[in-house]
Amino acid sequence: MDSALIPKGVKRCPLWQFVLFVGAVGVVLLWGVYAMLLCWIKGLNQTNMNDFYGFALWIWADLTVIALGGGAFFTGLLRYIFGKEVLKNIINYAVLIGFICYSSALLILAYDVGQPLRGWFIFWHANVHSMLTEVAFCLTCYFGVLTIEFIPLILENRLINRVRFFHHLGHNMHEIMAVFAATGAFLSFFHQGSLGGVPGVLFGRPFAFREGLFIWPWTFFLFTWSAAACGPCFTILITKITEAVTRKKLVKDDAVELLAKISGWMILTYIIAKTIDTLYWATVTVPSKGFALEFFYSNNPLYGYWILFAEIVICGFVPAAILIFKKGRKNPVTLWIAVILAVVGVCLNRWAMVLQVMAAPVLTFESWVMYFPSWQEIATTILPVAYGIILIAIAHRYLPVFPNEPELNPLETIIAEEQEPEEAEAEPLVDQEQELKPAEA
Amino acid sequence: MKEERKHKKAKKYGMVIDLDKCTGCGACMVACMAENNVPFRADESDKLLSITWMRVYKLTNGEPFPKTDVCYLPRPCMHCEGHGGHSPCVSVCPAIATDYSAETGIVSQIYTRCFGCRYCMASCPYHARYFNWWDPVWPDGMEKYLSPNVSPRMRGVVEKCSFCFHRYQLAKEKAFMEGRREVDEDEYQTSCTQACPAGAITFGDLNNPRHAVYKKKKDPNAFRLLERLGTNPKVYYLSSREWVRWAGDNYLADEGKLKKAMHHG
Amino acid sequence: MKICRRSFLSFLIGGAAGTTISPLPWKVTDDLSIWTQMWPWTPVPEDGEISYVNSVCTLCPGGCGITVRKINDRAVKIEGMKGHPVNDGGICILGLSGLQLLYGPTRVKTPLKRMGKRGQGRWEKISWDDAVSEVAKKLGDLRSKGQSHNVGFISGSDRGTTPLLLDRFLTVYGSPNLMRMPSILDSYELTLYLMQGVRALPGFDLENADFVLSFGSGIIDGWGSPVRMFKANSNWCSAGAKVIQVEPRLSNTAAKSDKWIPINPGTEAALALGLAHVIIEKSLHNPVFVSKFSVGFNDWKRLVLNNYDPDSVAAITGIDKTTIVTLAREFARASKPLAICGRGRGNTPGSLDEFMAVHALNALVGNINKKGGVWAVTETDYVNWPEPEMDATAAAGMQNERLDGAGSKKYPFTRCLLNRFPAAIDSGKKYPLEALFVVGANPLYSMPDSKAVKKAFDKIPFVVSFSSYMDETAQNADLILPNHTYLERYEDVPTPAGLTKPVIGLSKPAVEPQFNTKHFGDVIILTAKALGGNLADAFPWDSYETCLKETLGDKWKTLVAEGYWSDPDFRAPAWETSFDTPSGKFEFINSDTGLLPQFTPVKIEGDKESYPLVLIPYDSIRLASGFIGDPPFVIKTVEDTVLKGKDVFVELNSKTARAQGLREGQYAMLNTPKGKANVRIHLFDGIMPGIVALPRGLGHAAYDKYLADKGVNLNELIGPVEDHASGMDAAWGIRVKLSKA
Ligand SMILES: Nc1nc2c(c(=O)[nH]1)N[C@H]1C(S)=C(S)[C@@H](COP(=O)(O)OP(=O)(O)OC[C@H]3O[C@@H](n4cnc5c(=O)[nH]c(N)nc54)[C@H](O)[C@@H]3O)O[C@H]1N2
Ligand SMILES: Nc1nc2c(c(=O)[nH]1)N[C@H]1C(S)=C(S)[C@@H](COP(=O)(O)OP(=O)(O)OC[C@H]3O[C@@H](n4cnc5c(=O)[nH]c(N)nc54)[C@H](O)[C@@H]3O)O[C@H]1N2
Ligand code: SF4
Ligand code: SF4
Ligand code: SF4
Ligand code: SF4
Ligand code: SF4
Ligand SMILES: [Mo]
Repeated sequence: MDSALIPKGVKRCPLWQFVLFVGAVGVVLLWGVYAMLLCWIKGLNQTNMNDFYGFALWIWADLTVIALGGGAFFTGLLRYIFGKEVLKNIINYAVLIGFICYSSALLILAYDVGQPLRGWFIFWHANVHSMLTEVAFCLTCYFGVLTIEFIPLILENRLINRVRFFHHLGHNMHEIMAVFAATGAFLSFFHQGSLGGVPGVLFGRPFAFREGLFIWPWTFFLFTWSAAACGPCFTILITKITEAVTRKKLVKDDAVELLAKISGWMILTYIIAKTIDTLYWATVTVPSKGFALEFFYSNNPLYGYWILFAEIVICGFVPAAILIFKKGRKNPVTLWIAVILAVVGVCLNRWAMVLQVMAAPVLTFESWVMYFPSWQEIATTILPVAYGIILIAIAHRYLPVFPNEPELNPLETIIAEEQEPEEAEAEPLVDQEQELKPAEA
Repeated sequence: MKEERKHKKAKKYGMVIDLDKCTGCGACMVACMAENNVPFRADESDKLLSITWMRVYKLTNGEPFPKTDVCYLPRPCMHCEGHGGHSPCVSVCPAIATDYSAETGIVSQIYTRCFGCRYCMASCPYHARYFNWWDPVWPDGMEKYLSPNVSPRMRGVVEKCSFCFHRYQLAKEKAFMEGRREVDEDEYQTSCTQACPAGAITFGDLNNPRHAVYKKKKDPNAFRLLERLGTNPKVYYLSSREWVRWAGDNYLADEGKLKKAMHHG
Repeated sequence: MKICRRSFLSFLIGGAAGTTISPLPWKVTDDLSIWTQMWPWTPVPEDGEISYVNSVCTLCPGGCGITVRKINDRAVKIEGMKGHPVNDGGICILGLSGLQLLYGPTRVKTPLKRMGKRGQGRWEKISWDDAVSEVAKKLGDLRSKGQSHNVGFISGSDRGTTPLLLDRFLTVYGSPNLMRMPSILDSYELTLYLMQGVRALPGFDLENADFVLSFGSGIIDGWGSPVRMFKANSNWCSAGAKVIQVEPRLSNTAAKSDKWIPINPGTEAALALGLAHVIIEKSLHNPVFVSKFSVGFNDWKRLVLNNYDPDSVAAITGIDKTTIVTLAREFARASKPLAICGRGRGNTPGSLDEFMAVHALNALVGNINKKGGVWAVTETDYVNWPEPEMDATAAAGMQNERLDGAGSKKYPFTRCLLNRFPAAIDSGKKYPLEALFVVGANPLYSMPDSKAVKKAFDKIPFVVSFSSYMDETAQNADLILPNHTYLERYEDVPTPAGLTKPVIGLSKPAVEPQFNTKHFGDVIILTAKALGGNLADAFPWDSYETCLKETLGDKWKTLVAEGYWSDPDFRAPAWETSFDTPSGKFEFINSDTGLLPQFTPVKIEGDKESYPLVLIPYDSIRLASGFIGDPPFVIKTVEDTVLKGKDVFVELNSKTARAQGLREGQYAMLNTPKGKANVRIHLFDGIMPGIVALPRGLGHAAYDKYLADKGVNLNELIGPVEDHASGMDAAWGIRVKLSKA
């Protein structure tokens, strides 16, 4: 039925199956939307946040999806600026994932604030000193860039592409994509950094506070670095999951391997920097404020040294080691382990930098406060996940996201196996050649 | 002439709270709520959700019976100056909904500008900022006592102690009408200061040698909360008890023998 | 026109671009954000003309001067009145919240008559005419049947014109059963009567004392006139006066004092006598006062020297000997020492022994009617109404002994014994009570052993409340005749508790009555007129206001202008003229009754085996425990280690908790011989091991959602214990069992 929209040369599941799948995820999405409406209509009392936890699950989710979406800018940087040609096979998906992450981040912000209708004050009454202002501007601009990077892919839809205007628009946009990739990389560097600045500048919160360079605390650089390091792992992870779900190989190994290798080195360098940062913080910054390291890791039921160990060793050095070595990244099992660990690592880092910051008391006569999100917070946090899955499903079905797909999964064999009568009825193509071209011009 | 020039010096309003006198009676808390139209709900026992611009903390020295000791510590907003007016909260607010006044040293909060991102709350180590999680609702008829000088806040914005800024405005207007430039010490006093039956709170211009706070802040028993963080607060405390002074900040074990007793007890 | 795909898409894109460039979205965005700033459900207080009304707060016996700030006809803030002799600008948490009572949801808005069963909460609104004639009819019927003495009145106060109108009414009507709510003032008054022969209020010259020895008095927990006490406490702090607090729990007062001396509860009198022992033995007492202005010293001295040596007292009180000796010396050597007693806020009259022993300490150092000492302050006599005519019915009615036994042979000098009232009703031995009127009091909540009180109330066929608020007693009444609140009415406020100088305050209507309420004084006058005869004659005034103006005479003008009247020339009488005893001297032993300062342990209820721990109540200034419940602002200040959700915490020493296997925050069942309650545990080492402390003022069943159903009413867990000498309630605690819930 929808075959006219499906890219040429690939096989897709029957429409009913697709609809059923999207419908199932859609129910979760609607649950999230319902929770979101509750938060908008009734206010943030629907959450378990409080005056200690002004930042909680959502801000963690926000920081996390942005970090994970870092795969887009970093892959783009490697592909367009450093000319890593093999990455062209994964860049579309990296951009799509980035787009999902960043649109989710903006969506989360839209229900996280107490007065969503005044959200634009952040631009109108901008405070140049605030890291959040920096975040908002860069985030919005970068989302624009991602949209621009994403549009050509949409324009490559078989049906849209038939329109001459869109066809040429898409073509021309590809031509100048390097410019946007560069802009995106620049913007990303700053907004990933300013996200790191968000906790790092809190000089009233010794757990978060970091000294730094000029106006930027070290977390500024660490966040950018970690996003660049772990974002690609998330791209690989989602690619692998997509492959597992569709039961098809979608991206050639060389692209994944190159990304994994670079990621490995990035993680290694990042985690060394993070270790140095932690040591400096623990031995210089924190004692100067009158705190001992063990105060933050042994005075409460949840945040033990385990979290530090998990973040730095298990989710830092271990995946770095796996990915650096050919053996490690070539072995599918260890590759899986490595990318999962790297992703968990960056999640843990953002968790600590948001939630542990709130949990730790600063006044000597206050105590640790624990928090568990309300169902509304959980539903709204799952909402972007459902949205992401649906968008991926739609994009995968109708857009030529994976340029390697037809090559890796030759249609003949599939047709031979299970006949596809509709395929024959397909409308004549306007531009057969363009249709099958990968996302670059 | 010289006097004139002296007057031109920026004001730095602040408080000195004598913890030896404070009885923990809570009058300052209620005086603040009554003055500033602070809302209330049926259950206010969850202190993580209860709006108290002024909050009186109960501190204990952590010693066993009968050496136990208790001290009360009222905590308004500290109106932190930070370095050059970069208060922890002011510098982070993306919408300039809270600001440091160079004229008075008061950290303002503009409810109609605030869009409720709560970054300022995350930045304030004193937990002096409160979010309006609910619409403020007064029982039928009780809105009658609301003061027109302070607008009730809408749901979704942050609020905090303002040093009763509206009182400063009124005093200034009055002085202006009378052809004076300056507001006298007794013309601008906060609601909590005025109400405190123990006279534990002193309020005034920390820069003005003729104001009582000027001298009091130099008392050898004076200290401020979390000074080591560089927040540069404008609320000073006095206590003759050493353990109370130690409780004002965090110290490493080797920085003081007493430390162990009160740290996060 | 054919809409092709391309033109449709162009239209969409063009439209989107056009709209974006147009002012429309910006305008809408801006309007939406402005709308959030004035949501119609967020109130916008109306501005208007500012005015101030000076008045007096009567939410507690403190009698503070207040200034009510108004915008047009709305009261918007209550502040302490500058220059007022009681509080000079200061104000307490309750007084600050007065407007929440005035405008609050607990007001009884019009006279109400019960519809369903008692306490069911079904009411019929009735007119004032009907309400008054119903009361008059009931009273008239009883009187015509010769049962005038079967009418009882419970009043919060017996001072000032309104209570005196009530007193006059009952006298002419013919009932002796006017009962005032109990407090330590009862014990202090009796002590002054027994030892000095005067009917007077105790005054404490706290401002001038330099060594304050408090036997558990909550100096900053609501004792006396609270704001004055806070101020005195601050002055001591600045002036370097010493304050010693003796009590089993580290109360706020103890924490603020210079020295906290934990003591076995209920043994305070023994300590006072132990101190007397040291003072007498070392001859540190005031020789002039003792030899020239007292009698009975030698007999009492023998008793003290024989029985209360520091070692014995140490064993009784749990305070070590050296502390006792040092304390005695410091007290006696101070230039202006002052000893005070009455636990906590002073709700319970307490043991007469203790009051006499503490008063004897003051006498020993000669600080009676002296600067920095205890004064006997006689009531300012401004109520001079002509003696009313009583008819035969009234005279016959007044011949009956009071239902509570006050003034009887057993307790000849006690004026009220409300604690004995439930049992008297329950036994029905003397005579039944046919009608009970309650004004300015909430006995169903604030009298110990709530169950027994409720049972007694159930036996009374006709209960009328004059409460302005839907409190527990009003809720269980047959008829409610709501009084104006203190912010809506005139009322004279005689010298507040503990002041050394006579001060009369005047409560003024700060605002018009908000509802269909009536001044209680007017209701008395109207009822008297409706009853006719002598009663009508005894109340010639056309309204309470006329009565008050006439009564206050030339003071009225001052009161209206200044808000208070005080006697600047008042001096405490010299020792030569201070004592109205037969000997004209201070009596260490009352010559009439032989009552003298000694230590007779007051045995609390419960046996040690079934109830291993001891429960003591504690008072907090943040919990109003009698007259009025905590308004929303006040309950908001209660700490989460006292009340969390609906649960109240008991304080327990960590050692005791460990022994009982209880942890912080844990739920536990508190069992006493009087009742049981679910509580939570708060570990607090500022309390003696073996003791459980529970705050007064929670566990209301009435009022609004801001107060009701929070915590436990202590009075449901404790019962009165009759003092052997005064008959008043001397319970200082009760034995309890605490088990994991
Ligand atoms: N926070 C708080 N505040 C309260 C309360 C509370 O529970 N909590 N209770 C409130 C209540 S209910 C009341 S009524 C007030 C009471 O407050 P007050 O008006 O202070 O009442 P008492 O102090 O009991 O007054 C009794 C005194 O009157 C004197 N007296 C006795 N008999 C006579 C007599 O025949 N003639 C004269 N002229 N004088 C006499 C005696 O000396 C005695 O000391 O406090 C109120 N305030
Ligand atoms: N905590 C505390 N306890 C005290 C005292 C104290 O100061 N503090 N004082 C002691 C003294 S002096 C006394 S006399 C007793 C008091 O006697 P209590 O046992 O405390 O009686 P209350 O519970 O106060 O009942 C008073 C009731 O009067 C009603 N009421 C409140 N305001 C008004 C008003 O403006 N007009 C009228 N008509 N009714 C009103 C309310 O419904 C309130 O519940 O308590 C003693 N106990
Ligand atoms: S009002 Fe004064 S005494 Fe009471 S808690 Fe506040 S500062 Fe302390
Ligand atoms: S106390 Fe908190 S809210 Fe107040 S100025 Fe300082 S950081 Fe800001
Ligand atoms: S919550 Fe309001 S005041 Fe605070 S940082 Fe955000 S916009 Fe600024
Ligand atoms: S200064 Fe004013 S706003 Fe601040 S705590 Fe005191 S009363 Fe409240
Ligand atoms: S102490 Fe008593 S009289 Fe004074 S303000 Fe408080 S409640 Fe009113
Ligand atoms: Mo009373």
